[in-house]
Amino acid sequence: MTDATPVRPAPVQLAPRRRLPSLPVSLIVGLVLLAPLLVAAVAGSWIAPYPYDEMNIMSRLQPPGAEFWFGTDEFGRDVFSRTLVGTGSSLVMGVAATALSLLAGVPLGLIAGYKGGRIGEAIMRAMDVLMSFPPILLGILVLAVTQPAQWKAIVAIGIVYVPQVVRLTRAITLELMQEEFITAARLRGENAAYILFHEILPNIWPPLAVEASLRVVFAILLGASLSFIGMGAQPPSSDWGLMISEARPFVEQAPWIALCPGFALATAVIGINLLGDGLRALLDPRNTGAH
Amino acid sequence: MMTAPQARPAVPPVTAAASAPEPAPLLDVRGLTISYGNARGTLRAASDVGFAIRPGEVMGLVGESGSGKSTIAMAILDLLGGGGRVESGEILFDGTDLRRLSAPERRALRGDRIAAVFQDPFTSLNPALTVGRQIAEPLIQHKGFSPRQAAARVQDLLSEVGIRDPRRVAAAYPHELSGGMQQRALIATALGCEPKLLILDEPTTALDVTVEARIIDLLAKLCDSHRLSALFVSHNLGIVNRICQTVTVLYGGLVVETGPTGRVLSRPAHPYSKGLVAALPRITAGRRHRLPSIPGTVAKLSGPPAACVFAPRCPFAEEACRSRPQAMLTDAAGDGVRCWKADALAGIPWPDEDAGIARDPKKAQPRSAPLVEVDHLRKIYGANRSILPWLRRAGTVAVEDVSFTVGRGEVVGVVGESGSGKSTIGRALLALTEPSAGTVLFDGADLTRRVRQGDQDLRRRAQLVFQNSAASLNPRKTVGDAMDRPLVLAGRADAEERRKTVAGLLTRVGLPSAYADRYPHELSGGERQRVNIARALATDPDFVVCDEAVSALDVSVQANILNLLAELRDEMGLSYLFITHDIAVVSHIADRVLVVYGGTICEEGPTGRVLRPPYHPYTEALLSAVPRLAEDGQETPRILLEDAAPTPGGQGCAFAARCPRKLGAVCDEQAPPVHRTDDGHRIACHIPLATLAERAAVFPELAGDAPH
Repeated sequence: MTDATPVRPAPVQLAPRRRLPSLPVSLIVGLVLLAPLLVAAVAGSWIAPYPYDEMNIMSRLQPPGAEFWFGTDEFGRDVFSRTLVGTGSSLVMGVAATALSLLAGVPLGLIAGYKGGRIGEAIMRAMDVLMSFPPILLGILVLAVTQPAQWKAIVAIGIVYVPQVVRLTRAITLELMQEEFITAARLRGENAAYILFHEILPNIWPPLAVEASLRVVFAILLGASLSFIGMGAQPPSSDWGLMISEARPFVEQAPWIALCPGFALATAVIGINLLGDGLRALLDPRNTGAH
Repeated sequence: MMTAPQARPAVPPVTAAASAPEPAPLLDVRGLTISYGNARGTLRAASDVGFAIRPGEVMGLVGESGSGKSTIAMAILDLLGGGGRVESGEILFDGTDLRRLSAPERRALRGDRIAAVFQDPFTSLNPALTVGRQIAEPLIQHKGFSPRQAAARVQDLLSEVGIRDPRRVAAAYPHELSGGMQQRALIATALGCEPKLLILDEPTTALDVTVEARIIDLLAKLCDSHRLSALFVSHNLGIVNRICQTVTVLYGGLVVETGPTGRVLSRPAHPYSKGLVAALPRITAGRRHRLPSIPGTVAKLSGPPAACVFAPRCPFAEEACRSRPQAMLTDAAGDGVRCWKADALAGIPWPDEDAGIARDPKKAQPRSAPLVEVDHLRKIYGANRSILPWLRRAGTVAVEDVSFTVGRGEVVGVVGESGSGKSTIGRALLALTEPSAGTVLFDGADLTRRVRQGDQDLRRRAQLVFQNSAASLNPRKTVGDAMDRPLVLAGRADAEERRKTVAGLLTRVGLPSAYADRYPHELSGGERQRVNIARALATDPDFVVCDEAVSALDVSVQANILNLLAELRDEMGLSYLFITHDIAVVSHIADRVLVVYGGTICEEGPTGRVLRPPYHPYTEALLSAVPRLAEDGQETPRILLEDAAPTPGGQGCAFAARCPRKLGAVCDEQAPPVHRTDDGHRIACHIPLATLAERAAVFPELAGDAPH
């Protein structure tokens, strides 16, 4: 690189122009972990060895073995099949609820951070009110008035996570508003929308990607608690959260009932987190592949 | 208050030791090689570095950023972080190799026998603990003092570093003290265990110039009275000249020159030292069109050098320089230089690009109505005029009644310290902040009002170049994208044509047009600052505010950017408001200078007039605080100001609290009258103009110059 008026050409090699960012390792590992889950989510009911709701009193609470790989539950249903079939509903729960909270939270956070003043205060106080509701209570509120359904659980969880997204977005926006490149944009006469969506938003994605990957996990777990109190997925449909909560009374006799969905959940958690971290690295123009 | 002659350490031991046997060095660094390694490869921060510091000697370690000077200081303190590793070499302290000691033994030395003061006092002190407790910590840790004994010693230490009321300062939390006081407290911490060696890593860089002058004075006195040795890491040659007996110049992790300060700075032997000395803006050099500069950027090594590291940037380089590494040539007196041509180059100065081409002063004169008119501008932050009495707040005055004009094609310098309101003035001129009172007219129109009404076209004609070249570019946009946007806003639809304009602008600021595809982090600081200038030019402005635009850059790069700004002014007829704390920089580029203090203008006039008496007492203090090199002539007595905060918004003169020539109560109670002369020079001071004119010039060399 040269930094010179061309008084004399400095024979310094120019660094190679834009390197294509190589894929971060965490992104690849995350995808590898998530791939079987995605397959299960799409094709779970076809590849499951048994129907997920087939009860068999003769083989209830069977330990893992050749016949039932991960054992059976108290109704004699095959745990592995139920986990496979439940993948779709669990992942959809996590991802959709998170997407919803981002969709509502990011614009609110941007506005609160950019405008400040009364509008910002109003948004933040509304979020405080929302935050002060225990999530379960909010879920109950949403669901109590209508029939339980999975999409309602998704909406409820989405709303519960809006305040966190708003707070994070606002905090980063406030910080970025102090940056001189925002001043430069104002000086060349950009309007608020351009500054928010073209100058600030690209700088918010990386922390948001990490935050969202954590949110997905919490949403799955919160979905499980809602299912537990009868607000989410309804028995006999299979859902990881529901399975884990149903397994609770049998933890001492038949720990394997919780093991398979728990393992699937852990894989999803780690996979999504690594994916989020990998996305952050991939989105960063400073990424040169060394991770 | 005080006007003290400079306290230079009495006799440099280098000469004192000429007849006596050479004292053993206190710190002897030999063959020190340090690398930083990460997944992308290794970077050599120091290659085979060697130097010695004798007892009672202060050695300067100078070089540009990236030259490895801080790395070496950190290695001596055993505080290398971030993958830094000492590959080889010895660090002999009092005869023992620090590298052979165990970690606990090194920890026992650090803070006890070897103490350090770092650059930023604001982050070096823990905000949650009182200053006294932080000074006491090393005493309790290393000397086994009880807290009560330590408290008494803390008071002594604080008075030793020139703090008047040690009791109050010891009980204070860091945020209650000014930057100068904080740095004094840190020096007291370092002195606590009576160390033999001080590592001073840019200890005054974060401070205002008048405060810096006092801290340097203090350090020089302390080193002298305690017979302390010190390693003084700095990029500022003027400061090094003031405090160091010997100096070692680093480039690309290699020592390129070493010797007594006076000799190295007045007769530098290595081409790089010559360049560094030449690139320093000097008040006495007169207003030359271009400053000499060093082209290119600092070399980065990954292994042992295969050729002279400086050859790519050296105007004297020839084929032989590029084919083999240079060895250090040391003479009998201990002076060393890493250049085989040093003897041949003796006396040959760094090439002047076009010395002596002074700018036609007529060009600078306002040709018609001024471009920017500032009339009784006032800015108060945090004021609240609520109808509810308990919510009413007077606020903090940042700018108090400032009026001035900027002509077309004119460069107006604004000089002041932190908190003087200079940046607020710049922001008000760009309608980035609304004045609390007064008006800013831009080309005859009220800019603030027009911008509020949505007139973005007028706003685009006034642009800003920032201090922090990194923060002012969006890290997620390529250079080309950042420069393309103003063109889109200006309604230029043709993408191909815009691309050409961007390439043209990049070439205009001296960058390859291929840089359009790069991201900011891929550029060096100087390159980014060029991109900032190019982006400001993309809106085709008439007026550019440069807010400390060169302050964060290395001397050599600073000269480059100043030259570029001067060229652009001449070619495009730009007007600048050049905001800086460095009066030497302003004297190079400005046609007129405003000296601001505490939100008021204390002196204004053509640059040549402001640099010569009569001075405002504050201008005089600022000028006397400018560090100078030996060749610039004899040091005049420096005026040292108290570490007091300015008190803007009061009844009297804002400078009264620190003024060494304060008349009395009148200064505190009445706003100073403004003395005007017919050549546009004005001074706001209670002291009569005739009395002010009696003072000796700070730079007598300038006295003969004809006013511009």
